[in-house]
Amino acid sequence: MPRQVIFEGRIENLSILDKDGQVDKKLEPKLTRDQLTGMYRLMVMMRKFDEKALNLQRQGRIGTYGSLRGQEAAQAGIAFNLTKTDWVVPSFREHGVMMALGLPMHLIYAYWKGDERGNIVPPDLRILPASVPVGSQLVHAAGLGMAMRLKDEPSVVVGFAGDGATSEGDFHEALNFAGVFNARTVFFIQNNQWAISVPRKRQTAAESIAQKALAYGIPGIQVDGNDVLAVYAASKAAVEHARSGKGASLIEAVTYRMGDHTTADDQKRYRDPDDIAYWLARDPIDRFRKYLVSKKMWTDDNDAALAAEMTAMVEDEVKKLESMPAPTPVEFFDHMYETLPWNLREQREAFAQGDRS
Amino acid sequence: MSARTTDKTQKLTLVQAVTDALQCAMREDPSIIVLGEDVGLNGGVFRATDGLFKEFGADRVIDTPLAENGIVGSAIGLAIGGFRPVAEIQFTGFVYPAVNQIFAHAARYRNRTRGRYHVPLVVRMPYGGGIHAPEHHSESYEALMVNTPGLQVVIPSTPYDAKGLLISAIQNNDPVIFMEPKKIYRSFREDVPEGVYHVPLGKANVVKEGRDVTVVSYGAMMRPSLEAQEFLARENISVEVIDLRSLVPLDIDTLIASVTKTGRLVVVHEAPRSCGFGAELTALVNDKALVHLLAPVERVTGYDTIFPYAILEHHYLPDRERVVAGIRKTLDF
Amino acid sequence: MAFEFKLPDVGEGLHEGRLVEWLVRAGDPIAVDQPFARVETDKAIVELPSPVSGSVQTLHFKPGDVIAVGQTMITFGDGGATAAALTAPVSGKSAVDAGKSPVSEMVAAVLSPGSAPPVMAAFPGRAVATPHTRSLARKLGVDLARVTPSGKGGRITDEDVISASAPSNQASAPPQPPPAPVAIPAASARPAPPPSPGVVAGMAGVGEEIEEVPLTHLRKVIAQAMSHSKHTSAHVTHVDEADVSELVAWYKKAKQRIEADGRTKFTILPIFMKAAVTALKAHPFLNAVFDEPNGKILLKKFYHLGIAVDTPEGLMVPVVKHVDRKDMVALAGELVDLAGRARERRVTLDELRGGTFTITNVGAIGGVFATPVIHQPEVAILGMHAIKDRPAVVDGQIVIRKMMYVSLSFDHRIVDGLEAARFMTDFVELIQNPDLLMMRLL
Repeated sequence: MPRQVIFEGRIENLSILDKDGQVDKKLEPKLTRDQLTGMYRLMVMMRKFDEKALNLQRQGRIGTYGSLRGQEAAQAGIAFNLTKTDWVVPSFREHGVMMALGLPMHLIYAYWKGDERGNIVPPDLRILPASVPVGSQLVHAAGLGMAMRLKDEPSVVVGFAGDGATSEGDFHEALNFAGVFNARTVFFIQNNQWAISVPRKRQTAAESIAQKALAYGIPGIQVDGNDVLAVYAASKAAVEHARSGKGASLIEAVTYRMGDHTTADDQKRYRDPDDIAYWLARDPIDRFRKYLVSKKMWTDDNDAALAAEMTAMVEDEVKKLESMPAPTPVEFFDHMYETLPWNLREQREAFAQGDRS
Repeated sequence: MSARTTDKTQKLTLVQAVTDALQCAMREDPSIIVLGEDVGLNGGVFRATDGLFKEFGADRVIDTPLAENGIVGSAIGLAIGGFRPVAEIQFTGFVYPAVNQIFAHAARYRNRTRGRYHVPLVVRMPYGGGIHAPEHHSESYEALMVNTPGLQVVIPSTPYDAKGLLISAIQNNDPVIFMEPKKIYRSFREDVPEGVYHVPLGKANVVKEGRDVTVVSYGAMMRPSLEAQEFLARENISVEVIDLRSLVPLDIDTLIASVTKTGRLVVVHEAPRSCGFGAELTALVNDKALVHLLAPVERVTGYDTIFPYAILEHHYLPDRERVVAGIRKTLDF
Repeated sequence: MAFEFKLPDVGEGLHEGRLVEWLVRAGDPIAVDQPFARVETDKAIVELPSPVSGSVQTLHFKPGDVIAVGQTMITFGDGGATAAALTAPVSGKSAVDAGKSPVSEMVAAVLSPGSAPPVMAAFPGRAVATPHTRSLARKLGVDLARVTPSGKGGRITDEDVISASAPSNQASAPPQPPPAPVAIPAASARPAPPPSPGVVAGMAGVGEEIEEVPLTHLRKVIAQAMSHSKHTSAHVTHVDEADVSELVAWYKKAKQRIEADGRTKFTILPIFMKAAVTALKAHPFLNAVFDEPNGKILLKKFYHLGIAVDTPEGLMVPVVKHVDRKDMVALAGELVDLAGRARERRVTLDELRGGTFTITNVGAIGGVFATPVIHQPEVAILGMHAIKDRPAVVDGQIVIRKMMYVSLSFDHRIVDGLEAARFMTDFVELIQNPDLLMMRLL
């Protein structure tokens, strides 16, 4: 038999709630009322945080900001499966995952204000700072997943990236290393359709991003990223797979970046308004609210109270942000090395004394 | 400078001293792991990791897929995850794919998180020419590394230093680029103490004391520098020869004390001249010892060309004659 | 409290935006984060949300106007509570600026002639020597211009300097060869030879008989400014003498009255300032700037007098603006304040800039008279000396009078001696005759 099939691949797409909040009973995960409303709270919190961030930017109170609007279900669905001992290796749009795990919002705002102190994650969290060079963080996620496997720690590492990052070599090297070394890593790709102005179809000719997992010998799945139940269910399986030592996997969450790439961008230059309308009708929060209401777990009154609560929380975090004392400029010398070499000590000293030569 | 040496020594080449350093350090600290291409069963293409796989196993001496970016990037993840990885890049000429990880991440984690995370990582890479190797096997990129804040750059020139410096580098809590002069990997042996000892980073070695001119070099170029010293001694010219051992941190005090004494400086390196490390040393002497100079600083370096293929490489590399000529230029100024 | 909203950089590195439309009108109530305007930038049209709640007080632009980043575009009323937190904008240089000590810049600005120091082309006839040789020459007090070079390319060597410094080395005597070094270096190697006896005497004192004082930044700046001034202007000093007996009596009487309230301090300097301004108005070429590159002399029609103040770290020259528009009591108050803050290094950069003429009080300690150095880019500086009882001839009789020397250094490039003498005669007459000064005060 000179010619035989040595590999056949198959990729599933998972969807549990349709765009109107109708649930597929067979696939519906068993979650308590508290868990479900908890997920909803998380998503509303993300949106309030995001809306405030955009306003703060337009008021000159923070710098360039990348909005997560539209990606709340994707981020809540994965975050709901993680604990504080799990590692989050973000790109630069995972504010939702970060706050879900307990990172104070004012630190996230501080990062976008241009303050490195926003990256001083509390000691009980394992969240790496936002990574700007696209995709490069995925290799760290692979290495961390190797570390967890070598130490046999039941901690899972989640490496985040967008659809654009899957064109970078880093994505492929990361999946390859994680596959070869059985890393405890979940690669969570939020396919939000756009890498700034370049659409998803320009990133790869493949039908899905999820199928790329197969080439590296790890499982992959595509989910409706605006369906928090589907993201939750797929993430649960992937996280358990990694935690139990079975290795890495890839999730492609199909979602949509409702806003500009960042506040320095104008998506009207390259996107069709009909496209946005299509996705607006698939808003992850609206959809999930309908589901909760149909299950008699949520009312309009609940919603108003939640909105007020979250607005107050966000305002409080903005106060914390703006009451942070200004950093002293010499701080940028202080953390270059554990021990500063003479040249940095000399430069720091001269700087501190106001010598601008 | 030694921490826990036994009295026993063994005659080792520089590359054997590297292996010995890895072995001694790994025996003491289970968090130290080695990863790279062919480092396992094969013991590395230069045999720098020879025997380690057998002793420490596949989980601590890791043969990786062939991807420099993946090696360094995953090593960063391992470092943050609690290990002290020692990554090997097979040749310095192959480091470019990993530069994104080294520059954009390894060098920056401590600063950008204000100390919340740090990366105790060593990236070893054989560098330099003189072994008649194919294209891309002879480069010296130390200046690129030095110009990246957050990295430390260490280059040994003797077996003793190689072992003591590598152990210091592995135990350091910040990333170290450890460049090994492959031309002298096996060119001579010297007594190397058994067990763990340290040569501190940032301490230069005044190999020969002299009065008339200071020659500063590192790595493989220490050889022609010392040959020039010996040659000129016959003419009663007294050359002080300094081996920097680490470029970052730099032992500025030893450099300036010597230049203040002799009033003349010749820098020798095989990397290209423009914006090479010699340019930095010249600027530092300008800052701190200008009035003591009796002549301009002289640089004896590789040329601003692509490193030539094997049959011309000896024309490119500084040798004793070029170092002697450089010294004479400062004396005859 | 009103809150002024300044257009922020809403993209990355934008400098201006065009107002598309207001979404509110003056008098409208406004809530936090309520959009109030649409602004078009190079990148996009954005809606700007209000950072405060309250009401809209003033719209500062019309649709179509281009607003620069940092310009106030709208003022909100009753926004004080939230506004307090908004004083530190995120973008821009505020954090660094806040930490910046302005002292060195202030000093540099006041003592140097403006932008960058002039770039020196190779000086014709300048000695050629290494920095090491120059440093040696400085230590030994050897003027390199007088040393005969023996090195390559006409370079002065260490040996040349040492020979030139030897006490026995008179112009007629041949230069002494240095004694042979103990360790004989190769012919090509020429390390500095052991110093001759003269050198030993000259250098051994460092640490024992010579104390090395590192230069402060202020001192470096002063040094630069002084030598720049001396290299730039053609300094000539005109000295005159004034009998200020009447003025002193007049001043003392006034001082008692003015200081009666126990708070005001009245010094004599404001009177001299007024007299100087009065004379300057009659002699405009002394209140001027020489704009050599453009071939112009700029006559200043305002009178900002620099007043040289000794501070513990060196000279500073705060400027009293519009001396002609202020009365003497006000000037006295301003002087006390400025001088005090100059000594504490708390004057602002603006208070050190923009002088048109300078007065320096050079006689406080003693001496007959001194020749002050012009404060660039001005063209003249007036030195006031101590008032002393000295014999003078009045109506053929020798009597004891309150006498004072005044010296005027002026830039002979644009002011001739005659003009300077006329100014000084006028000035002296004004301070000798307070009545006349009164009559001529504007």
